[in-house]
Amino acid sequence: MDFELTEDQLELRDNARSVLAGACPPSLVRAVHEGRSTADDLWATLVGLGWPALGVDEAHGGLGLGFLEVGVVVEELGRVVAPTAFLATATQLVPMLRESPATDWLAAVATGSCTGTLAVAEAGRWEPEAVAATARRTDDGWGLHGTKTHVLDGATADQIAIVARLAGTGGSDGLGAFVVPRSALSVQATAVIDPTLPVATVVLDDVEVDQSGVLIEPGDPDAPRRIGRALEEATTAMALSTVATCRSIFETTLQYAKDREQFGRPIGSFQALKHRLADVYLAVERASALAYFAALTIAEDDDRRAMATSMAKAAAGDCQRLVAGDGLQLHGGVGFTWENDLHLWLKRAKTGDLLFGTAATHRAHLARLLGLAA
Amino acid sequence: MRLRFDDSVEAFRAELLDWLATHRPTPEEMAADPSLSTGHAPAWARRWTRTMFDAGWLVPGWPPELGGRNAGPIETLVYIEELAKARVPRTTNVQGLGIVAPSILDYGTPAQIRGYAMPILRGEATACLGMSEPGAGSDLASLSTRAVRDGDRFVINGQKVWTSGANYADFCFLFCRTDPDAPKHKGISIVLVPMDAPGITVRPLPEIIRPEHPDLNEVFLTDVVVPADHLVGELNDGWAMANGSLAHERGMVWVSAVMGLEEAMEQLLQEAPGLTASMSAPERAVANDQIVRLAIDTAAARCLGYRGFAKLARGGSAPEQALMKVFASEARQRVALVAAEIQGADALEVGTIEPDGHQSIDEPQGTWLEQYFHSFANTISAGTSEIQRNIIAERVLGLPRG
Repeated sequence: MDFELTEDQLELRDNARSVLAGACPPSLVRAVHEGRSTADDLWATLVGLGWPALGVDEAHGGLGLGFLEVGVVVEELGRVVAPTAFLATATQLVPMLRESPATDWLAAVATGSCTGTLAVAEAGRWEPEAVAATARRTDDGWGLHGTKTHVLDGATADQIAIVARLAGTGGSDGLGAFVVPRSALSVQATAVIDPTLPVATVVLDDVEVDQSGVLIEPGDPDAPRRIGRALEEATTAMALSTVATCRSIFETTLQYAKDREQFGRPIGSFQALKHRLADVYLAVERASALAYFAALTIAEDDDRRAMATSMAKAAAGDCQRLVAGDGLQLHGGVGFTWENDLHLWLKRAKTGDLLFGTAATHRAHLARLLGLAA
Repeated sequence: MRLRFDDSVEAFRAELLDWLATHRPTPEEMAADPSLSTGHAPAWARRWTRTMFDAGWLVPGWPPELGGRNAGPIETLVYIEELAKARVPRTTNVQGLGIVAPSILDYGTPAQIRGYAMPILRGEATACLGMSEPGAGSDLASLSTRAVRDGDRFVINGQKVWTSGANYADFCFLFCRTDPDAPKHKGISIVLVPMDAPGITVRPLPEIIRPEHPDLNEVFLTDVVVPADHLVGELNDGWAMANGSLAHERGMVWVSAVMGLEEAMEQLLQEAPGLTASMSAPERAVANDQIVRLAIDTAAARCLGYRGFAKLARGGSAPEQALMKVFASEARQRVALVAAEIQGADALEVGTIEPDGHQSIDEPQGTWLEQYFHSFANTISAGTSEIQRNIIAERVLGLPRG
């Protein structure tokens, strides 16, 4: 048991942090929020540095690093609220491609020429059991029908992995997955509170997919396992990203409490604030430790990965609630203004909490995993 | 970062388990002669501590002459985990082995080491820690028990309170004021005081749970005389040593707290389906949600402990360590509270669970409701949760002192 990053991983983190300090300043995040800019240059920079190749295996032109390394980068991106395609591509599309025959897309991801995402949620539910979209055999492939919601980067990703099921099946039966170019889909971007994690609705109106687009044959008995594992990676990555954003909010708030003076002393010298900040710090560390544990179980394919993932996402949600609330409250009126950057972080943290299942959703899942009767 | 231990660590674990299987005291033997306070070592406990000392299993990180085997920190972690799993304490005198003996080894004279530290390690003596006073609890440095130098002896007058194990301990590691004119942190010294010295009166303070077995005491000292060579370390240097002595094994104290939490959580998960069986579905959902929150806390406690430990083992600083006491003790308290509330009115019945004698006396015992009340021992003692939050805010987060 070793619960600290290796030298190489720490170096990756430091490098990522220093790159992002230059390539993703708060002014860029603000410009994206205010609709004054896209973040295309940032993505081009990250592609130039080979980041999309990190988690792709070497046979497909990647660096073959594990989930911990991908997680380290996800954290750094979350820390600066980076608007990039990395999260959806590396932690949602790639896990779906990994065990499938349609792997030429992996090579395209590694070079940075292809971005992607995962369309699994429907009506705000991410459990595969809740999938209602259908896949129907056609003469030369499959026809997909249904509506996918909250697809991260859905309006911009090049390739979208779509989970659907055989008509007439339910639960974990009949599930399958496809990869479809966005250009072949009807996509509606949602107007959201945080444009750095934009979502879209994908309407599948008898979309034709040929056999080369099949990632998991509908009804494949291995489908629940493979989709479940991909979801664990996506969910744990969302937890890592959210906790990193929260840590940033906490650090900003802590600094504010040291700098801001009232009654002739820093407000952080008042015990009422000290104890709140100690509890916020504890919530961040609690969530961070669980997110790393989940990442570790995924990296080592440990059989606790499902449980660890839900614990990580639930703790990230708890952390977000406390950090965002106290962060805004402790900044007073200053944090309430548009011109202060705090809200950019608060909105990202809340978005991360609500995507891929809220804390309550994951606690309900944990209740089942822990054998607590419904 | 990885989940598994090295083969050499697993070999160490196997050797320990093998040795424990043949040498440990039996649960029956322990239950028949339970420890009555943290100053009390029943015959089996004295034998057991001595057996561990001789075999180099008492404090594995120390050299053989001190009852160890020069084991590394990871081995020590595994050792503490396995001992807790086996439900066998290495000593019943936790403050003696954990704080007093190591402090004397660090700061004491050769005669003090021979006469006081080694007997603790060999299971021949027990010690208590005389720190808190009626006027000096969280503000420990304001303690007022006086030790006045009179030729080649000290004359001590004052009162201690919350002194664990003083009702049975052989000697006290006593913090007293030796320079009343110095700033409060700079006039404190440590003196070794035999508990049978004339002028010492011990009054046990029965606790809110199991009052028949008090561990806490008031200690009154009236003109107690000890030789001057009973001073530990330098005169007026006691505060610095206090911080040193409380830091002993601080890298490891979380382990038993986390294991106690895990054990309680495991029991709650086992009992939960039965306890919630007669509830309506909505009530059961509420109960289960509370249990799941605690399961998350329990897993987080272990992860935080491991992460802090990994940083320490690499020679770095570990802010996680400062979080462990408040986090684990409050989570342990919530487990007992939630369990009792899920039991409902059935939680009111007492006397249904006998203390098993295996556990450390400061580990919450009895029914869930008894455990809940007992658990305040851990959120109050050794720095209250509020003091812990001050420490986190000031020392870890760098917030200015108020």
